[in-house]
Amino acid sequence: MYGGGSLFEAVKLDELQHEDPMKLAEFEARIQRGEKIEPDDWMPELYRKQVIRMIEQHAHSEIIGALPEGTWITRAPGFRRKMALLAKVQDEVGHAQLLYSAAETLGKTREQMMLDLISGKSKYSNVFNYPTPTWADSTVISWLIDAGAIVNQMANARGSYGPYCRALERICAEESFHLKYGHDAVVYLATGSHKQRQMIQEALNRWWPPIMTFFGPADKISAHTEILMRWKVKMATNDECRQQFLDMYVPKVWEIGLTLPDPNLRKNEEGVWEYTEPDWEEFKQVINGNGPCNKERLAVRRQAEEKGAWVRRALLKPETTYVKPLA
Amino acid sequence: MMLTSLDPRVNRLQVPAEWPDLPVKNQLDQWATYEVFAQKRENTAYAYVGPVHAPDLEVAFLFAKEQYSRRVACFGLWVVKTQAIQHTPYVNDNELVWGMINIPAAIRPAEPQQPFEIFILKKRGKAHTHAGMVMASDYPAALAVAKEQFGDQAPCVNVWVMPAAQVFKSAEEDKDLWLTLSEKKYREPVAYKVLDKINAFKTRTISNP
Repeated sequence: MYGGGSLFEAVKLDELQHEDPMKLAEFEARIQRGEKIEPDDWMPELYRKQVIRMIEQHAHSEIIGALPEGTWITRAPGFRRKMALLAKVQDEVGHAQLLYSAAETLGKTREQMMLDLISGKSKYSNVFNYPTPTWADSTVISWLIDAGAIVNQMANARGSYGPYCRALERICAEESFHLKYGHDAVVYLATGSHKQRQMIQEALNRWWPPIMTFFGPADKISAHTEILMRWKVKMATNDECRQQFLDMYVPKVWEIGLTLPDPNLRKNEEGVWEYTEPDWEEFKQVINGNGPCNKERLAVRRQAEEKGAWVRRALLKPETTYVKPLA
Repeated sequence: MMLTSLDPRVNRLQVPAEWPDLPVKNQLDQWATYEVFAQKRENTAYAYVGPVHAPDLEVAFLFAKEQYSRRVACFGLWVVKTQAIQHTPYVNDNELVWGMINIPAAIRPAEPQQPFEIFILKKRGKAHTHAGMVMASDYPAALAVAKEQFGDQAPCVNVWVMPAAQVFKSAEEDKDLWLTLSEKKYREPVAYKVLDKINAFKTRTISNP
């Protein structure tokens, strides 16, 4: 799971002026031809920086996203759901492993990424700063947040960086189980007793506003966006992803008799979804550390890092050294 | 003061609500890097699946098994230290990297010889696949022999060379190690018959609105 193409750093394009124009042209021609970039290729520093940032955020989202769902494993109703949720959370952590490896090929160590997450320097998908007070909330994440993540990841899988594409191929395959499992769990509640229906409706009402911000605010059409798209780092605009998500999933919510808490949500004659603009001020506030769970998420990661440090050091062998992975 | 949460596990952790910055490390305590190759079907070539970090080769193998075989069919794993692998530059798709390899026979001493495993990449963005084993005295010589043996295999944009002695391979007689997937059908999308439930619900609401 992952969201938010919105967190690319605003970059100074004059950085590009320091790059060798011949090499830059060759690099861009390769991407234009549809070829992937591999770790040893020459690449502009701006590309390296932005791809590290994107993959790293994706990886952080996987491990942080495991927290609001993981808390429901022991309380999931029934043995089968416990097993399925356990497997799903395990998948998410595995995705983080694959993604950290892909980012490492560009020269940032895994440990540095972990430290940047804990210090708040690196970001992760903003939706995971919201809590999961009931079982139904966890099923909404499994279904709709994973659905959003799939929209994003399918787009990214067509991107230009080879190691990221290899990781996404495997991730997308596993996500199809998450989506089906989540849908099944939501449908079960929605077609159940009055109390179950009420529970899932309330969870949906809580999660809809964060879900609407999942893909980030509308992209400003800037030279910056243009260059990330030309380099196939960003494969679709935030609005394109949001439209695709609404088109695929709003009908699925409605068909099981649930409602969404937005009176303006509708598909117009041109086939475009209209909705109430999400609260981007709140989005900004939460991203900057003031959401309901930001502190807790980072505290848990920090404790894991600190408690694991002695194990890493005890097993560290002076004759072996860390190097970046090959591909 | 301890952090309080909706999550009972977090409360049990007794995490402090405020904390000082993490101390800056002079050196990262991160383990060495290993590359992992998997056999996805019986009697097919091993292919690259990704790296792991581990304190030694055996732990690397355990991590690799967890990371790369818990969800997909796997019939064997090879693990090798990243530093034991040498590789050619990458060329454009549809070009042959073999054209860049021009090692005179003179620097290829006759002995002593050891086996090297050769992996080739057919297209950028895909995975390196095992081409075969060659006998040679060192890395450049192994690459030269690989060119002779596999040079007619097109396309090829990149080659990895590694001494076979440094590759940790799962044993043939431990095959049952890998037969774990069939018990876990709940991890497959087909295990969820959502449509049946939705249709039953629709029929119910139409007949009994």
